[in-house]
Amino acid sequence: MHVDANGLRFHVQHLRGDRPAAARPTVVLLHGLVLDNLSSLYYTLAPPIARAGYDVLLYDQRGHGRTDRPPTGYDLDTAVDDLAAVVKACGITRPVHLVGNSYGGLVALHTAYLHPESVASVVLVEGQSLDPQHTGDLPGPDGYKGGWVESMANTLNLVALGLERNRWDAAAAAADRQARKAARVRAATDALLNDTTLIEDVSTARLLTPGQLAAVRNPVLALFGAESDLAASGPLLADLLPDCDLEVFPDAAHALLRDAPDALVGAVLRRLDALSAAAGSAA
Amino acid sequence: MTSETATGTRTAPPSRPRAADPSRADVILAEVTAMLVAVVGDELLIAGDVERGSSFHDDLAIESIEFVALAEQLEERYGDRVDFMAFLAELEMDEILGMTVGTLVDHIAAQTDGPSPTDAHRSAAAGRGV
Repeated sequence: MHVDANGLRFHVQHLRGDRPAAARPTVVLLHGLVLDNLSSLYYTLAPPIARAGYDVLLYDQRGHGRTDRPPTGYDLDTAVDDLAAVVKACGITRPVHLVGNSYGGLVALHTAYLHPESVASVVLVEGQSLDPQHTGDLPGPDGYKGGWVESMANTLNLVALGLERNRWDAAAAAADRQARKAARVRAATDALLNDTTLIEDVSTARLLTPGQLAAVRNPVLALFGAESDLAASGPLLADLLPDCDLEVFPDAAHALLRDAPDALVGAVLRRLDALSAAAGSAA
Repeated sequence: MTSETATGTRTAPPSRPRAADPSRADVILAEVTAMLVAVVGDELLIAGDVERGSSFHDDLAIESIEFVALAEQLEERYGDRVDFMAFLAELEMDEILGMTVGTLVDHIAAQTDGPSPTDAHRSAAAGRGV
């Protein structure tokens, strides 16, 4: 279905678990940037979480999937506002668990920093970078010099240029369904990268500084692949965040959903069950 | 009984609970086709009809996000009788996209065998807010 939130029409999927309402928090799943949408989580993480009895909320972030693609608003602050507005539009009033994949992890952690009262916990799936490998330095008090976000923006710029120089004739491809699909995916990506402020917004994104990370009081589970470019970030995050558990999956790279789906689902469910049991005994 | 070799290799497709009534299967096929057009757009039919043997991925070139939207429409239409999440949960993503329209139609037909769903059923399903 679609909901109106923060001035846009968002595509959402809301799955219901079967726990009693009082013991049934909502788990919000946040997908990654550009070549991603809620379907990557809908087929992998969402079903086992719903089967374990939780409500699951998935939505396509602005510009992605079947949600509107406005020309602006691809910065982290707006992403945090979008998340809050979508959750509210779906009638959810209790704190939610946030599971963010890749860039979705940045959104999750920023939300925890800005609105801790509306967050129950955070799971980062390769979802944050402290990136000493790219800068040669640990982050200073003012944040990071370049790093993951910069290299992500550089990659997106190259893709954008390639798409702009090789525009397809979608009408000519209409008689062939595979060509239609390729043309649609290309056109959507082209429009997102070349007709919106996404690349500019991503390249100027400010990751949380060490001081800001130290102020995040929600429990965080950080999941990384041992072979990922971001692997070095895990132990740093676990040090800087007051309440962070780290799990590293061997033989997996950045795409944990692809490289270690079963281990990933297991880790997320163990986490949710442990937090739910703790909340139940505290109540 | 499904037949399996000594090595456990599956040699026959899993048996279905009941064979679908051909005319009812045709009705369901037409409904699923209309849902696909609603999700993807009229251009889906420019390249030809949607048939029982059409696979969602190779033949119809349905994107995975489009299949999510189709599943939502199926849930609204048949959700009072068919648990699509349970059906899909048993399949890998590749298997879902590799599925043919006929497999989906037969599953719906088998699960909904009996009196036709009424509007009351439909509004009850919609009321669940799934």
